[in-house]
Amino acid sequence: MSGVSVEFQKVGKRFGNRTALAAVSGTLRPGQVLVVAGPNGAGKSTLLNILAGVLRPSRGEVVYRGSDGTVPRAHWFEHLGMAAPDMAVYEELTALENLRLFARLRGLNRSDADLAALLEELGLGSREHSRLVGTYSSGMKQRVKLAQAVLHAPAVLLLDEPSSNLDGAGHDAAAGLVARLRERAAIAVATNDPRELAWADARIDLAL
Amino acid sequence: MRASTLLSEILAVLAKELTAELRSRVALNAIGLFGLTTLIAVAYQIGPYQIQEQDRPHLLSALLWIILFFAATSGLSRVFVKEEDAHTAKTLRLAARPLAVLGGKYLFNLLLLLALYALIVPLYCALMGYAVRGVGGLLLVLVAGAVALAATTTIVAAIIARASGSTTLFAILSVPLVLPLLVMLIQGTRAAAASSELAVVLPALQGVVSLGGAVMIVSVYLFPVVWHD
Repeated sequence: MSGVSVEFQKVGKRFGNRTALAAVSGTLRPGQVLVVAGPNGAGKSTLLNILAGVLRPSRGEVVYRGSDGTVPRAHWFEHLGMAAPDMAVYEELTALENLRLFARLRGLNRSDADLAALLEELGLGSREHSRLVGTYSSGMKQRVKLAQAVLHAPAVLLLDEPSSNLDGAGHDAAAGLVARLRERAAIAVATNDPRELAWADARIDLAL
Repeated sequence: MRASTLLSEILAVLAKELTAELRSRVALNAIGLFGLTTLIAVAYQIGPYQIQEQDRPHLLSALLWIILFFAATSGLSRVFVKEEDAHTAKTLRLAARPLAVLGGKYLFNLLLLLALYALIVPLYCALMGYAVRGVGGLLLVLVAGAVALAATTTIVAAIIARASGSTTLFAILSVPLVLPLLVMLIQGTRAAAASSELAVVLPALQGVVSLGGAVMIVSVYLFPVVWHD
């Protein structure tokens, strides 16, 4: 199967004297969902940030491997989609304007109809598309965040608490999205939600 | 394979900045309010008649740039801090090439500066009785100044955003970069006011363009490191 796998070997992170993440190893493989579980403060988000390349590990290394060989760190973001609690979309733009922006930044030629269909897949009806995101509820913002993460059908998808702020229907929409993308993407999900733990093909349990 | 060019990505960031700014007007209000307040205070206290004739070229050109620079600082410094505050920085970092972000933010700051100049400079000339003989020379100095100041403030804003967004730090980091620039801009403005010959502003222009160009080149190499690490 073509795609990108992410291998991480003895990856750890320290902030000063505090160990945020002990040495963790594993592989994200295309077609698989790796669930990262553990109590608050165990380092789930830290691990995902390291895998995304937005945080440098204090030890160990991460390698993105594509069909043409190792992907340089500067190009990881081209293969990557991510949604996390510390990420937001632009509140001064509408949902559709946000997706248009991220599509242009990723070099995609997507019609408004395509973008609207993605928002509707995540449960945002057409009436909401032209409202400023700043006027949305936190659950609706989470749906737009998920939409920007999967807009480009990424080869690597990192989801940190994807169902946070979502109601039952929102969780089902997120689950449907993961089910659609897991055919070809390597997916990591940081969660303690029992419904998301069930998505796992592989699992890492982090401890404090 | 990316279908877009760097230019189209830069323009996407610029369009986002402009749309967001026109809806929130945070930077426009900050620089407009600061610029007008300072200008009116200076005009009220000094006006066109409180300065000796022989001191006018020096003092009026210096006062103009002091007003322009400090008004600009109040708005331009937030261009990256606002992304960190709104938690959009990480989303942008994972979606865009660093140079697209730098280019878009730079062009946004440049447009803000030009808007500030368009508001303040004619009012300043009218309120302070500042007669400029070389309007073409002054325009060249203003545009070169905007290009160089926008480059400087953009990279400094990027650095301070990663250092928890201190506007005090913005001022401290800006001083060594901006001071020589301001000195040359004041010299160029004084020369333009005194003569209609374009040649008189060339020495100052060369300095401004050289310094602005150097800052831009350094920014292109420095920004990806600042932005990602």
